[in-house]
Amino acid sequence: MPDPLQTLEPVTGVGLPALKNEMMLPAVLDPWAGHALYEAANLAKKVPGSKVYLVSLGQKAKLQQVMMTIAQKVSFELVAIDGPASGFTDAHEVAPALAAAIMAIPGIDKSRLLLFGGWESASRGAGATMQILGEILGITDQFEGVDEITVQDDGSFQVLERVEGGKHQVSTCAGTPAVLGWATGNLGEPRNDPQVGMANMRTVMPALQRAKPAKVAAEGVLYGRVELPKQQRNTRIVKDMPADQIAREIIEWISQK
Amino acid sequence: MADEEQQFEQERQSLEVDIACVGFGPAMGGFLTTLSQKLAADSDHPLESAVMTGMPLQVICYERADDPGFGVSGVVTRARGIRSTLPDLDPSQIPMATPVSQEKVLYLLDPVGASRRSLGLRTADAAIKAFRWMLPVDHDALELPYTPDFLRKHDGLVMSIGQFNQWVASQLMTSGLVQIWPAMPVQQALIENDAVVGVRMVDQGVDRQGKPDAGYMPGMDIKAALTVVGDGPVSPVGRQLDERFGMPPGHEKHDWAVGMKAVIELPEHVDLKPGTVFHSFGYPEPEIFGFFYVHPERVATVGIFVPSWFDSPVRTAYRYLQHFMMHPYFWRYLKGGTLKSWGAKSLQESGKRGEPFLAGNGYARIGEGSGSTNVLTGSGVDEAWTTGTQLAESVVELLRAGQKFTRENLERTYVQRRRRSWVEKEGRVAEHARDGFQRGVISGLIGMGLAGMTGGRVSLHLETKAPHERLRSPEQFFASRLSAQELANIRRHCTQTNTPLHDAVMEACGWPAIPFDGKLLITHQDALLMGGKVQAPAGYADHVSFRDAHVCELCGARTCIEICSGQAITPGENGVPAFDREKCVHCGACLWNCSQADANGVTNLEFRAGAGGLHSAQN
Amino acid sequence: METILFVTSTEADGTLNRHALEALGTAVDTAVSLPGSPLVVGLFGEKIEAAANSIANCGAVRFLGVEGAEFTQARYATDAAALEMLCRASKATLVIAPATSRMARVIAGVSHRLNGRIDTHVNAIATSNDQVAITRWFYRQRMFSELTRTQRPWLLSVDSGCHTAYQGESQNVDIELLPIVLGSDHLRTKVAGFKAPSADQQTIRPDADLLFVTGAGWTKKQKDGQTHPKEAEQLILGFLRETKASLGGSKSLVDMSGEGEQVLQFMSHLNQVGQTGATPRHPKGLSTCCHGEEPHVVGWRFIRERRAVNLDPNCGWARGKADVLYVADAFEVVAKVNALLAEKHSTVNA
Ligand SMILES: Cc1cc2nc3c(=O)[nH]c(=O)nc-3n(C[C@H](O)[C@H](O)[C@H](O)COP(=O)(O)OP(=O)(O)OC[C@H]3O[C@@H](n4cnc5c(N)ncnc54)[C@H](O)[C@@H]3O)c2cc1C
Ligand SMILES: Cc1cc2nc3c(=O)[nH]c(=O)nc-3n(C[C@H](O)[C@H](O)[C@H](O)COP(=O)(O)OP(=O)(O)OC[C@H]3O[C@@H](n4cnc5c(N)ncnc54)[C@H](O)[C@@H]3O)c2cc1C
Ligand code: SF4
Ligand code: SF4
Repeated sequence: MPDPLQTLEPVTGVGLPALKNEMMLPAVLDPWAGHALYEAANLAKKVPGSKVYLVSLGQKAKLQQVMMTIAQKVSFELVAIDGPASGFTDAHEVAPALAAAIMAIPGIDKSRLLLFGGWESASRGAGATMQILGEILGITDQFEGVDEITVQDDGSFQVLERVEGGKHQVSTCAGTPAVLGWATGNLGEPRNDPQVGMANMRTVMPALQRAKPAKVAAEGVLYGRVELPKQQRNTRIVKDMPADQIAREIIEWISQK
Repeated sequence: MADEEQQFEQERQSLEVDIACVGFGPAMGGFLTTLSQKLAADSDHPLESAVMTGMPLQVICYERADDPGFGVSGVVTRARGIRSTLPDLDPSQIPMATPVSQEKVLYLLDPVGASRRSLGLRTADAAIKAFRWMLPVDHDALELPYTPDFLRKHDGLVMSIGQFNQWVASQLMTSGLVQIWPAMPVQQALIENDAVVGVRMVDQGVDRQGKPDAGYMPGMDIKAALTVVGDGPVSPVGRQLDERFGMPPGHEKHDWAVGMKAVIELPEHVDLKPGTVFHSFGYPEPEIFGFFYVHPERVATVGIFVPSWFDSPVRTAYRYLQHFMMHPYFWRYLKGGTLKSWGAKSLQESGKRGEPFLAGNGYARIGEGSGSTNVLTGSGVDEAWTTGTQLAESVVELLRAGQKFTRENLERTYVQRRRRSWVEKEGRVAEHARDGFQRGVISGLIGMGLAGMTGGRVSLHLETKAPHERLRSPEQFFASRLSAQELANIRRHCTQTNTPLHDAVMEACGWPAIPFDGKLLITHQDALLMGGKVQAPAGYADHVSFRDAHVCELCGARTCIEICSGQAITPGENGVPAFDREKCVHCGACLWNCSQADANGVTNLEFRAGAGGLHSAQN
Repeated sequence: METILFVTSTEADGTLNRHALEALGTAVDTAVSLPGSPLVVGLFGEKIEAAANSIANCGAVRFLGVEGAEFTQARYATDAAALEMLCRASKATLVIAPATSRMARVIAGVSHRLNGRIDTHVNAIATSNDQVAITRWFYRQRMFSELTRTQRPWLLSVDSGCHTAYQGESQNVDIELLPIVLGSDHLRTKVAGFKAPSADQQTIRPDADLLFVTGAGWTKKQKDGQTHPKEAEQLILGFLRETKASLGGSKSLVDMSGEGEQVLQFMSHLNQVGQTGATPRHPKGLSTCCHGEEPHVVGWRFIRERRAVNLDPNCGWARGKADVLYVADAFEVVAKVNALLAEKHSTVNA
C-alpha cells in the first residue's frame, strides 16, 4: 500500500476513487500486516515443521518494490496476486481473491493453518478482510487486535487481544486452524539479512512473474464525494502569558462541562 | 558483565558473490543496466558464477536508503549517455519526465537589500537598475539574452531522479539478473593486501553508540571478486578508499555544495510550459546558484546550492531556499503552491580535480565519488550513468576473456574507456572552471565564463582550500554588519532557546521574517514531516558523531548546526552539539561543514554509513 | 424501506455500555428518518433482560435475544453464531452495531455468512429519499467519503463518540429468546480473563473527558541544556492523577520508551495517537511538547476542543489545528496546573 505517511490526496473519476499519483507514492507493507509477518516468522522458527507463506495482493510493480525491503527480513514463500491495493476496494472482493490463492497453494492443509494478517489495514482500516477470509475457509476461531501468541506443548495456544481501556483479553484456543488479526505485537522489526534476501529472491521474482491478475473492486458501492478534511480552526496564539495564568486558564477550561 | 558480553557474542557471517556493488544512484543504474543488457544478450553462453557453481553470475547491489530513488538529486540532464544505453527510452513512461522545452539563465537582483554583495556587484546592480528600460529586466531579474552553450540542455530531459532511479531499479529487478537491496548501508570496503575483496555491512541491533543491543547482528561480510563503488559524494566507503590508496598527485576534494530542493505543485493559474528550465545566480546571496524546472502536470522542482566557498558560518540552505522561492521572479509562479516533497543532498564539486584512483585490485569507482560531476555544465547524472556503462562494458570484456579484476586489467579497459569519452573531455574543460570562486563571486563568474567559452583552454588556476580552512567565526565574518554586542545578544538568546544562530543573525542583517503559510512556506520541522517523512529505523548506531567533545566545546563557529539540512544537529549540552537521527535527511553536508580539523586535516565530525532518511520518491 | 436491527452484546452486569447506547441513538434516528422502517433490537449475552428493559422505549417493534453462559465472554465462534441468528430472525436489511472490540471481532465474518456486506468505522448515517448513506474515513483518517450500497443486508459497525447516547425510561419488555444449539466446535476457544496494567499504570481511559497528549519534547534538552526525564515523568503522572485524563503520546515519544531509554517507562505503543496509532474520541484534548503536523493531527481528528502548549510559536498547531496554542514551557505550565489542582483538591477534601 502507499506509505500512509505521505501527503495523500483523493481523486475521483470513473470507477473507484483513487489516490493522486498513486503509482508514484512509495509503497510499503501495511504496518499491521508487517507485524503479522514478523510474528509468523518468529513462530515458524520456534515450531519445527512450520512454513510461512506470504499471500499478497497488490500491483505487481509495487509488490516488487515492497519485496525489496521485506524479503531480506524473514524467510517466506511469496504468493502474489496482481490487483489494486487501494483503500477503496471492498473486503468482500479482496477476501475471496486471497482465499482462492491460499487454496491453490500446492499441498496446503487447511486444518493446520494459522492465518495471520493485520487486524486492519492502513488504507481502508476496516478490520473486515481477515474475518471474511476466515469464514470462506471455514475457520471460526478468530482473534482481532492480537498482541501476543504463545504456543503450548499440546498444540493449544494462548492469545492476547486488545480490548477497551488499554487491556488485553486472554484466551486459549485448542489448536489450529485459527485467524489472528494482529495489532503491533511485541517484536521489533527483524534485521536485514543478506542471506535471507538471497534465498527469498529465488522464489520472489518467479512468484511475481506468475502473479495472476485479480479483478478486485467494490461492486454495489457508490462513492459520493471523497474529500480531505478542510476544517481550519481559528487558532488563538497566546504568547508572553505567565505560566501561572496559563495554568489557571487550562484548569478552568478542563473543568467546564 | 561477562554474561552480557557473551549474550551478544555473535559470529560475523559472510556471503560470497561475484560482484558486490555499493550504492544505487545513476552511476550504478548505468552499470547494472548495461551489465544486464550484455548478460541477457548472451544468454546462450551465460557467464557462470565463480562462487555458486551452475548458477549465473551473482551481482548484488546494496543501497543505504530505504528505496532506490529516495535520495534527492538532480533533474535536468542532456541524457546523452542514458539515451545511448536505452535508445528506446520513452520519457512518458517515467513519472515527472519530459523533454526540455525552453531555457533561461537569470541574474537575480536583491529585492530586499539584505544580500551580502561586494562593491563590484552593487555597482553592477545599480547599472542594471538604471538601464532596466533597455535591458531584459523582469521582476527584479536580468534574463541573459542567451544561454551559454556549455550550460544548454536543449536536447535533454527534465526528470525526477527519484522516479527515474525507481524506474531503472524496477526494470533491473524484473530482469532477474541482478539484485538490489535497499535499506542496507555498507560500512566499509574489505581490504586485504592492497586489494579490495568485498564489503562489510553496518552492524544491526546496536544502540546509538554502536554497542550490541537486543537482536545484535554484526554486519555481514560480502566477499566478491569485484567491488563496484558508486556511492556518491559523501559515503564512507569512497572516503576509506581515498584515504587508504591516496589521491593522484594534485587531486583533492575541496569544493562542495549542498543542494536543497522542493517539489512544488504550482497554483492552478500558472501555465509554465513543461520542460521549462531556469538557472539563476545572484540571489539570495551572490554565491548561491538556483534552479527552477517545470515537470508535466503543473509540478516544479525549485532549489538552490549553498557552496563550501560561501564563507558565512551561519549558512543555512533551508532559510535561503525560502528567500529564493520568494524572489519576485519566481514567487509570481509559486505563490499559492503546495509543497509535495523536499530534500537535500551534497555535491562533490571538485569534479575532475577530485578524481581518485578510478580502479585498483578488486575494485572500481564510478559516478560522483569518482569525480565525474561537471560543475561547469551543472551536470552529474548523465556523467555518472556513463561511467557506470563504461565499467560494465569492461567487466563483461574481462569476464569473457577469463581475466581477473586487477588494477592493470581495469586500467586497460575501464579507465581507458573513460579517458577516451566525452565525460573526460568535458571534465577537463571544467577542471579549473570554478577556482575563481575561491576569491569571490565576480572572479568566479569570470573564471567560469572563460573556461566555458574557451573550452577550458583559459581558466583561473588557483589554489583551493578545504572548507574548514576557510571558515571563520560569526564574530569575524559579520564584523562589518553586526556589532559584537548584537551578536553576543543573539548568541545568548539562541543558547537559551536551543536554536541555531542563522535565523536571528539573518534577520538582524535585514532578511525579512518568513510569512509562513502552512503549504509552501513552512517551518523547517514541518518540511521534515510534509516533505517526505524522515525514517530512522531502530537498531543502528548514530551515523553522525563528534570525535572530541572538547574541540566542539571550544568551537566558535558550530557550522555543523547551522548547515544541518534537517535540524538534526542542534545545540547540545556543554556546547557539544546533539544529533537526532529522526531528523537526518542524509544530505551529508555536516561532513564538510565542521570548522575544526586536526593536524592531518581530519575534521571533528564523523559521518558514517547509516540507514533511513527521507521516504519520498517524488524528488 | 428498511428493516433496521440494532444489535449488540450486553455487559457482564447485564447493562449496555455507553458506546452501545450511542449506536442505538444512531439506529433510532435512522429508523425515524426512514418512514415505514421498523426498528428491531437484538441483544446477546449471559443475561439480557435488564439491558432490554433499559431501552424499552426506543421505539423497537421487537426485542430479540440470545442468552446463556457461553455468551458471557467475547469469543468469535459463539458471538458469531448469536449475531448470525439475531440477524436472520430479524430479517433486517440494515444492521447497526457499536464498534466495540467484541462486536468488531465478529461483525464482518457474520456479514459474509448472511451474504451481506459490511462497512466498519462508520461515523454517520444519513438518509434522504429513502436512501441510506454512511460516512467513513479512509487511509487512516486522512480523507473521508460518503458511500452507499445496493446490497442487503448491510451491516454497519458504528464508531464511538459519533452520536449522543440513547436515553429513555426503563420498562419491562417482551423478549423473544431465540434457541441456540452450540457444538464443541463453538467452544474450542476459552476466555481466561483480562490482563490490565496495574491501577496506577492505567493510563488509557476511553471514557475520560480529556486526552492528554505528550510529545518527544518532554525528553529533549531544556533551557538549561539538560534533559529532565524524571521530572517529566512526575509531571505527567501528576497531571493524570489530578485530572483523570487519558494519556496519549506521539510516535517519537512511545518509540523512545520502547527502545528502553530512561524516559516515561509507563508509556507503550498502546498510548500512541496518530497515523499508525490510535484516533481516540474525547471531548477535549491538551497537547504538550508535541509538534502539531500531520501524524498528530490525524490522531486528534476526533477531539473536539484542542489546546496545545509548545515553545515554538511556529509549530504546526499554530496554523488552524488547535483552538488555543500557548507558547510556553510545558514543564512550567504543567507543574503549575498540578499544584493548583492539588491545592483545590486538598481544600475540597478538608
Ligand atoms: C539539489 C541537486 C540538484 C542537482 N541537479 C542536477 C541536475 O539538474 N542535473 C544533473 O545532471 N545533476 C544534478 N545534480 C547532481 C546529480 O544528482 C549527481 O551528480 C548524481 O546523482 C550522481 O550520481 P551517483 O550515482 O554518482 O551518486 P548518487 O546519486 O549520490 O548515488 C549514490 C548512492 O549511494 C548510496 N550510498 C552512499 N553511501 C552508501 C553506503 N555506505 N552503502 C550503501 N549505499 C550508499 C546513496 O544513498 C546513493 O543512493 C544535482 C544534485 C543536487 C544535490
Ligand atoms: C512509519 C511511521 C509512522 C508514524 N506514525 C506516527 C503516528 O501514528 N503518530 C505520531 O505521533 N507520529 C507518527 N510518526 C512520527 C512523526 O512523523 C513525527 O516524527 C513524530 O510524531 C514527532 O513527534 P513529536 O512531535 O513528539 O516530537 P518533535 O517533532 O521532536 O517535537 C517536539 C516538540 O516539543 C516542543 N518542546 C520541547 N520542549 C518543550 C517544552 N519545555 N515546552 C513546550 N514544548 C516543548 C518543541 O518545540 C517541538 O515542537 C510516524 C513516523 C513513521 C516513520
Ligand atoms: S562538529 Fe565541528 S563545527 Fe560542529 S561544533 Fe564540533 S568542532 Fe564545531
Ligand atoms: S545531520 Fe543529517 S541532515 Fe544534518 S547535515 Fe548531517 S547529513 Fe544532513
